[in-house]
Formats: sequence, C-alpha cells, structure tokens
Amino acid sequence: MTPVLVPQLGNEITEAEVAEWLKAEGDTVDQGEPIVSISTTKMTFELDAPASGTLQKIIVPEGEIAEVGDTLAEIG
Amino acid sequence: MPRQIVVDPDQALAPTRLTMPAIAVHAYDRPFAEERAARGDAPLMEALRHMLVIRAFEEMLSSFKATGRHGEIAYTYKGPAHLSIGQEGAAVGAALALAPNDFIFGSHRSHGEFLAKGLAAIANGDEADLDAIMAGHDGGRLRDTVARALGGEGRALAENFLLFGFLAEIFMRSNGFNGGMGGSMHAFFPPFGAYPNNAIVGASAGIATGAALRRRLAGEDGICVAHAGDGATGCGPVFEAMNFASMAQFDTLWQPPYDGGLPVLFFFTNNFYAMGGQTAGETMGWDRLSRIGAGVNASAMHAETVDGTNPLAVADAVARKRALLREGKGPALLDVECYRSCGHSTTDANAYRSREEIALWEPHDPIARFSGMLVDAGVTSEAGIEAMRGEVAERIAAVVRAVVDPKIAPPVDVAANPVLIGQMMFSHGQIDVPSGPSTLAGPVEDSAALRKLGRKARNGRGEDGASVSPMRAITLRDGLTEAIVHHMAHDGRLVAWGEECREWGGAFGVYRGLADVLPHHRLFNAPISEAAIVATAIGHAMAGGRSLVELMYADFIGRAGDEIFNQLAKWQAMSAGMLQLPVVLRTSVGSKYGAQHSQDLTALIAHIPGLKVVYPATPFDAKGLMASALSSNDPVVVFESQRLYDKVETLAGDGVPADYYRVPIGLPDIKRHGRDVTVLTIGPSLYPALDAAEELAALGIEAEIVDARTLVPFDHAPVLASVARTGHLLVVSEACERGSFAQTLAATVTRHGFADLKAAPVVLGAPNWIVPGADMETTYFPQAHDIVEAVTGAFHPERKVNRRGVRSWDALDLARRGI
Repeated sequence: MTPVLVPQLGNEITEAEVAEWLKAEGDTVDQGEPIVSISTTKMTFELDAPASGTLQKIIVPEGEIAEVGDTLAEIG
Repeated sequence: MPRQIVVDPDQALAPTRLTMPAIAVHAYDRPFAEERAARGDAPLMEALRHMLVIRAFEEMLSSFKATGRHGEIAYTYKGPAHLSIGQEGAAVGAALALAPNDFIFGSHRSHGEFLAKGLAAIANGDEADLDAIMAGHDGGRLRDTVARALGGEGRALAENFLLFGFLAEIFMRSNGFNGGMGGSMHAFFPPFGAYPNNAIVGASAGIATGAALRRRLAGEDGICVAHAGDGATGCGPVFEAMNFASMAQFDTLWQPPYDGGLPVLFFFTNNFYAMGGQTAGETMGWDRLSRIGAGVNASAMHAETVDGTNPLAVADAVARKRALLREGKGPALLDVECYRSCGHSTTDANAYRSREEIALWEPHDPIARFSGMLVDAGVTSEAGIEAMRGEVAERIAAVVRAVVDPKIAPPVDVAANPVLIGQMMFSHGQIDVPSGPSTLAGPVEDSAALRKLGRKARNGRGEDGASVSPMRAITLRDGLTEAIVHHMAHDGRLVAWGEECREWGGAFGVYRGLADVLPHHRLFNAPISEAAIVATAIGHAMAGGRSLVELMYADFIGRAGDEIFNQLAKWQAMSAGMLQLPVVLRTSVGSKYGAQHSQDLTALIAHIPGLKVVYPATPFDAKGLMASALSSNDPVVVFESQRLYDKVETLAGDGVPADYYRVPIGLPDIKRHGRDVTVLTIGPSLYPALDAAEELAALGIEAEIVDARTLVPFDHAPVLASVARTGHLLVVSEACERGSFAQTLAATVTRHGFADLKAAPVVLGAPNWIVPGADMETTYFPQAHDIVEAVTGAFHPERKVNRRGVRSWDALDLARRGI
C-alpha cells in the first residue's frame, strides 16, 4: 500500500485543503497521473499518484484540511 | 491559466545557426542638396542657431567655473558643469526628428539635450500651446518675470523662458524650472517633453522604458528617448532596461492595442570616453557600441552607428527609428559618435587623451562642419553666421544678467522656512476611493481563488475563542489581495508587475487568482531585473500611471539600490513637487532561508529621505495600509513578512472588514493595554511581544504593546503618551540592532519623553551578524522569552526570570569587535 502524502508545499505552509479528488475510490491510477487537487493559503496544486495501482481508500474528503505529512489516500 | 507557449524540445534542441541583422555604421550619405530641398533653408538655419545657443550657453558656464566671470558679469557658481561642447550635433539632430509630444530623459551631461529638445519644441510647437505652457507653470509667474526682464513675444518669449528657467535652475534659484532643487545635472521641464536628466550614469534607461510603457497603455502617440553616454553600456541596469523594453510577451501575449515592443529609443551619445576611461579599446568589449543591440533581441534593436558630428545624419536616423517605434517595433538603439572637445568637468586635465587626438577632431566640430555645409551650399554666408553668433551671445548675456540678479531670480530662502526642502519630499496627496466601473477582464467570480476569499471567515477567532485555520479565515495575505483587487478593478491607471506575478500569483501568493481576471497589460511577469522593475515603475508613474511592483525578497533591494535610493526617493523633491510618483513597492522579508533571504532591511529604506515605509503585522492593518499605499500619490515601500502571510485576524474585534477601508500611514496602534512597560514593535515582533505580555502578566507586569505599523512617517504621540503612563520603553524589531529604525525610535523617545522615563529605553533587535539557517533562527530573531528577559532584566529586576535565550553577551564588547 502506497500512501498519498501532503508534501511540504512552502516554507510557512503547514496545512492544505483537499479541493477536488480527480479520481474516485476503485479507479486505476498510473504513477505520475494527477489524482487530487489541493489548495494551500498560497497556491493550488495537483498531486500526482506516487505509484501505479488502484485508489483503494480516500482518507481526507473534499473540503477538509490536512496537515503536511498527513496521508490523503492509499494506492494499492 | 497555464503557460500558452510550449517549450518544444524538438525545436529547442535542433541544430541551427543564429544569424544577426547587419548593423549599419555611418551609412548616411544623403547629399546636402537633397536635405536642403526636403527641409528648407529656414529650418536648417534654425538647427545651426540651436547648436550655437547650446555652445554659447555651455561656454558661459565654463567661463563662470574657470574665471568667475562671463564678460563683464561676475558670479561665483559653486555647482557642477558637465559640459557637452562638441556634442551639439547629436543633441540638436535628435531634437530635429522629435515631435513636441515626444519625451526625452537626459543623461548626466544633459544641458545640450535639454536645450535642444526645448528649442525644438518651441520652434515646432503651436504658439497657443506655448502660451498655455508658460501660463500653466507656477501660475504664470516665471513667464511674467521673464517678460519683464527680457521681453519678447510668442516663440521669442518662450525661448527666453526656456533659457532663464534653465539657467536659474542651474544656479539653484527659487524660480528655476525645478524650484532650485534640481540644479545642473537634474534640470528638466516636462511640458516641453524634457523629462528628468539624471546624474546617475545610465539611470534614464529604465525610467524612459517605464514612461514608454505608460504611453503605450494610455494610447499616447509620442515616443520616449533614453539619453545616455557610451560609458553607460557598462551599467547593468541599462541592459536590464533594454531587455525589459524588448520582452517577447509584448508580441506573444499582449493583446492589441497594447502589443508590440515598447516605444523607447536608447540614444547613446558616444564620445569615446566614460569620463577618463576609453570605452572602445579599453573598458568595453565592444568595438562598436551598436553591436550590443544584437545581444538583446533578434532585430538587434534596429541598431546603427551614426555620425553625431552631423545633425542631419542624426535626424535621419532618429526619424527612421521613431517610425519603427510608432509601428510597435521598438525598442531601438543608436550609437551616435561624436567628440567632447571640452573636459569631462572643469577639473579635467585631459590626462587620458593627447593634444594630437583633440586636434584631429577639430575639423569634425559639429558647428564648424554644419556652418561649412550651409555656406558652401549658399544657404548663408560667413557674415550671416557671425551675425547669428552675435545675436545668440547677446541673448545669453541678457539671460545671465537677469538670472544673477537676486531681485529677478531670488535664491532659495531656506532661512525664511527652514523646512522648505523637507516639505517637498511628500505631497501627502491621495486619490479618492476608486469606484468607477470595473476594469477587470471579467467578474471577480471568474477566479476560483478570488471566489474563495468571499467564503472565508472575516474573523480569525472562532466563537470558542480559538484561532481559526488560515484555510478558513482571511489571512494577512488575503487582506493585501483584497485591497489590491479593489484598486485593480476600479483604477485602470494601476498596473502591477514583478517576478512570477502572473500565473504563479507572486512567489507568496498575494496575486493568486488575479491572472484570471486581469489581462497581461495590467499584470505581467517581469524578468529577474530588480533595477528595471523599479526604474520602469518610476517612469510609468512619472508619465501618469500608477505602479505596483514587487521585489520578491527585501534582500534584493541592493539589486535596485540606485533606483530606490536615488530615483524613487528623490524625484518628487528634485522637481519641487512638479512630479508625483505614485509607486507602491512591495517586498517580502524572508524566513528560514538564511543570510541572503531573510534580512529585515527596513532601516535601509527608512534612512533614505523621500520614501514612505509601512510594515503591517495584522490582516486588518495589511488590508488598510495596502489600500492607503495604493491611494498615495507619494512612493510607498510595503514590507511584508513571509512569516505573517498566513496570520489570521485575532486582534481586531470584528475581524477584517469585507468592504474597502484605509488605515492611515504613519500612526502606530496599541494592540494590548498595560500600565508597567511600553513594548513598541516593528513588523512580526508584534507576536512574540504579545506572547511575552501573557508571561509578564503572570509575573504581575502589565505590558502595553504598541505596533509601529509604519516607519515613515511616524507619529510619536501615541508612543510618548504610552511611555508617560508606563515609564519604560522596550523597542523590538527583527532588524540588526546597529543603525536600525528601532534605535531611531528609542533615541527620539528618550529625547522627547525623558521626563517620563524611569530607565533608559532598551532596543531588542537581531544581533549584528548574518541571519543563520532555519534551525538557528530562534537564536537570532527576538523571541517571547528574550522580550520577557529584557523587560524583567532592565526594568523589573525584582522579577527577574531564569534565562532561556542565548543573549548573554556584552554589547559594548561586541561593538568594539565590530559585531
């Protein structure tokens, strides 16, 4: 299982909001494919799938805030 | 919006050869008879007369400097005289091809440039316009003075007006064109199209480029000429300006009618010497100055080398470049070769060139040469030229007699009003709240990022009193954005640029979403050219625009040092208020990026007279101060702490108003009341001070926290009133203590609040060494515990706490060691 993590997005940025899931649970994803759009106070950012596989579980739903390092979803 | 131009590797990496356009050198070969037929005899004689006026004017200055006399008139002139004797063909030739509504920006050897442009504007301008210009300057007082002292009507009066206003300015008289505040190297008169001359070599390049931007955006017809010498090609900011004027986006991204390279002509009067260093052959790599055009863009800036000893060759080239600029094919570059037969200044011993060389150039003197052409062709005779020379000499003598008479040209009376010059630093004017129809490309709702601001909470404290996430409440960044959006939406004169300002939204997101609703000509990415970013902002404002520009990090201020310190700060006063510079210069103070990206350089900016300086620390103040800055007709530098961009409003009870409002520039604000000690903070120091106040309260010490908010101007009254209540002052800032603005505040309060102080004020800043890396920052920037220790240690020793910080050094010993 590969976690989709909130990366360090800037010097003073500690958290990000999940703006939109571009993939749904159960979808097949390729490594490098954008799967989620996250928004910080400073910018909006599309995260790429860290591995190929199936999007097994979305942990942080749209509109919720996660901290840097948190797991947003799992790919397996 | 993603980038529209794809960087295609197949294209980028394909082998090819670059070719450069051929650059013409002295290609002018039009027979004089043709020029005569095309122009007519009278304009040719007029061009000669203009050269004679410039020559006589400068020889008069030279005579005063060398002998203290001009003919029978004795006068001691103490100012500089950088003369252009021998270069009149270049100046008059350029002016011949320019329209009255074209602008020139002078070099530091600019008497000839100024007079040539003024004389041409008078010769070619509409007489009613000339009357209006003279009536409009200083309420017509200078015109009336000149009419009484020198007489004349119509164009003759206008020429006397020009010569008197210019010489009175050089002699620093109160009725000089710039109220005596400009002097020899800075005199100018915009109504004749003569914008500031500049004592800093090459400094007009960026300013003229910014003015050209404004002219393009305002739909004005005229071009801008940046005068510079050959030595200016050694100055980085000149190259920055030439690149800025050539940016590809003007063709690739800007939409009609705003598209096309900027209408600016870089006019290098090449006299082969940069003061005493020989350019071609010694201090430069180029053999011909025009060669550098090929390094700037694919059209080689339409560069040419032309013969500056022949005004007709210069006029021919300037006319052709002017036509290209008006077609949107700018910028252009001219290398105008001529020879300065006088010294660089009156202290020049000609040690760097030989008498033989000077003699070689004598036949190429532009006046001798042009006179010869006119006589040979039968346009005039030797006697005719001598008569003209005599008339010019008489006119100059009459002007000199008038200007040296203090009854006609009174000296600036500083004794009568000791703050006279100070009053010229700022107009303190501001525009009304912009409220016209939106100038955005679409509604704000078109931008997801801007839409989101409307959904955020206005107050950073939730109902439970806890701080709300910056994702959910308006932050300091958002406050800045809201003020900027309002001005951008309702004031079409306002244009914003800087590095990464568009798609990226600024490196720290303040412009996030603006690219969705603003076209390129209102918000654009600038090259990494800090000098050009600031210089163009100045020119844009000087020509009637309002500029909002950004230096990504305050640490880059040095890259725009001259532009901030000598140009932005000074032109309002050097014009005696004739010019206004509504420029907002945003710059961020970094964090966690170490020595070259985290310095608080507020003291550097506050030290330079002529700049307003704000440093907001709360979202409420950030929005209100940014609105005031954008409304100001004076230049304002806005410092923004990267550490505070995500701060939500926890101090203003009602949060950040959604509507537009202004916070006055210059007024400190009490953020927490207390009776035992006044803690005056600058910028982000507010927050550790508030934390410290909680700790101190637990010790029974009630601290009053005053946020400076603004450095220049600064109303001390609230601070002095606070100190009168508490008897103690601690000033906290993140700047190095040595020479900081915190020291200035402490010194001023000590002087004016001495009777109320129970102990000497303490300044707590950063130590006088480099900002260390992120992990060591807490040992460098004052922390809450440092503030507690400073208050208890200096003012309340009976409540001294255990030391938690590292500040256990002897300040006097450090000073002795230079740290």
